[in-house]
Amino acid sequence: MDPAISSILFYLFAAMALICACAVVFARNPVTSAMSMALCFAATAALLFGMGAQFLGIIQIIVYAGAILVLFLFVVMMLDIRTEEEDSSFSVFRSLIRMAPGALVAGVLSAMICIAAIKLPGAGDWQNPLCQVCDSMGELCIGQQEAAAAPQGQLPYGGALPRLNPEAAARVLNPAISDSEAAAATSIPDVKLLGQRLFSQYNIAFVILSFALLAGTVGAVALSRKIRKD
Amino acid sequence: MSLFDTIWNWCVDLLHNDIWFYLITTVVKLVLMFAVILAFVVLSVWIERRVAGWIQDRPGPNRAGIPLQLFQRFGSKEKQPLKDLLHFFGIPETCWIAKLCTWLRLDREIPTFGLMQPCLDGGKLFLKQELTPSYVRKVYFTIAPMLVLGPPMVAAAVIPFASSVSTQFGEINMVVANLAIGPLWIFAISGLSVYGLTLAGWSSNSKYPFLGGLRATAQLISYEVAMGLSIIPLLMVFSTLNMQDIVQYQADNGWTLLPLWGEGLSWQRWALMAPLALSFIIFVTCVFAEANRTPFDMAECETDLVGGYHSEYSSMKFASFFMGEYAAMVIGSALVVTLFLGGWSIGFGADAALHSVCSWLAVFCQFIMFLIKLVAFIFFFVWVRWTLPRFRWDQVMKLGWLVFLELAVANIFLTAAVLYFVK
Repeated sequence: MDPAISSILFYLFAAMALICACAVVFARNPVTSAMSMALCFAATAALLFGMGAQFLGIIQIIVYAGAILVLFLFVVMMLDIRTEEEDSSFSVFRSLIRMAPGALVAGVLSAMICIAAIKLPGAGDWQNPLCQVCDSMGELCIGQQEAAAAPQGQLPYGGALPRLNPEAAARVLNPAISDSEAAAATSIPDVKLLGQRLFSQYNIAFVILSFALLAGTVGAVALSRKIRKD
Repeated sequence: MSLFDTIWNWCVDLLHNDIWFYLITTVVKLVLMFAVILAFVVLSVWIERRVAGWIQDRPGPNRAGIPLQLFQRFGSKEKQPLKDLLHFFGIPETCWIAKLCTWLRLDREIPTFGLMQPCLDGGKLFLKQELTPSYVRKVYFTIAPMLVLGPPMVAAAVIPFASSVSTQFGEINMVVANLAIGPLWIFAISGLSVYGLTLAGWSSNSKYPFLGGLRATAQLISYEVAMGLSIIPLLMVFSTLNMQDIVQYQADNGWTLLPLWGEGLSWQRWALMAPLALSFIIFVTCVFAEANRTPFDMAECETDLVGGYHSEYSSMKFASFFMGEYAAMVIGSALVVTLFLGGWSIGFGADAALHSVCSWLAVFCQFIMFLIKLVAFIFFFVWVRWTLPRFRWDQVMKLGWLVFLELAVANIFLTAAVLYFVK
């Protein structure tokens, strides 16, 4: 797509995600909060789509918007919402006290992300294109290292925003690919890229995480199961 | 140069521009896809009622023709257009043709075999009074029907309805969005319709709709898990997530459930038949559960829940729920046809042969083939509905979590073993 259009869409969906995230906190009705969160997830998925990571985007929708949030809604709906909405004892002081711990945690987390982003080599240089910053992130960007090895003279990225490069992705999947075939690659098979990295380089971490999840599931079942005496 | 030539050249220039070519072809495909889905929603309502009548040994809606009196009203002075027609061709009124026409009620109406019935029902619902109870939560009450009807329409974007054609302007792929993640897109988007059911139940602020909404949520989430796992064996065999590639593979090497040509004839392919058939059974059952159809229509089970989540709805809002359910059924059928029954492929190598004759002819035949398969599967859907009784609620949950989930997971390992040891 045209880089200008994709940039406009990026900022549009980013703004939508931020506004919806704020609505989650500020809405009085818990169901409105949950629905804003769903919209926020959808906007995030749209951002991932825009960067060419279709698989990650669709997983965002299936897992978060389609399953986890529906369970949230399921529980929230069974609460007595009237009392929450008609809470007359609203005072600035009390709401500030309520929000303080959450704001603190969120602030620390976002500060950590900001520091990590600023400390990336080349990030302080305002004139430096984002793609070079992305390059130096190494493993965080699948296929970006290989993009640096792309033929000189042409920018190995689609636009001003950092994005995965189909040509580089094709080279990661098949190192023996010819130059013309790599150049003909139009879409990023990010399912294959992710699978390859997860099941080779990060296989041990992946398996350990799966076992942690399994243990959690078994624990939840064991805790919630009623043992009949009869 | 004539005006016609100027317009023609302008159109050709426009189509030579890549962006305009992409936009125009996409809009045409989009309109076609929407028309097919909406037409099939109406058609499946008709099929449902006719087949229900057939199974229960009654006629079903077989009238609702266009009465000829209508034309008499609008200016025709003659009372009997059929008699006029017979007279025009010189056929005597006692002839067998005339008797046959009278038997077919051609003297009274233009027959539609009851096809007008869903349209008239739609008109009735459209004209009914729209009643919004005073105790509902208005915003969510209004957006809930949209959330049910919208997702199946959007999900249809990745279903291929024919192969591709190369024209002088570029290649036209007969699928609205040729995504690399086809089946996942359908799962994700049609999974969102659970919000519509849940919010409808909650915003009605009334006991039975609320219970219906809760049931719908629990059921849809439970069966989504087994549904997603059940197609993994299929994806292991195809090793692609692109729907057009999946169908192309089936056109070349035999449909998933009918591998009778190409590589499908090898015994290695037939060794895969058992896991694939198992995943077909799991997947089809989950599609029934996801479409909220009997035997899984727990969310609108009249005997326990009045009308389920849409008890408080009337007029067009109710019609949106109704259409959403049928649209989900059409999309589910299209997905099953695409994954298991060869999608648009005609089979037995006919696709490639037709393409070598004329690709437009091939695309047209494939489109017709896709529609035939779709109608056949919708018939199967309806057949099951009018044959099987409804499950009990705990049976539905047990079937989903204790039978299908385990079977689907075991099936993945079975397929992996077959692929590893046989191929």
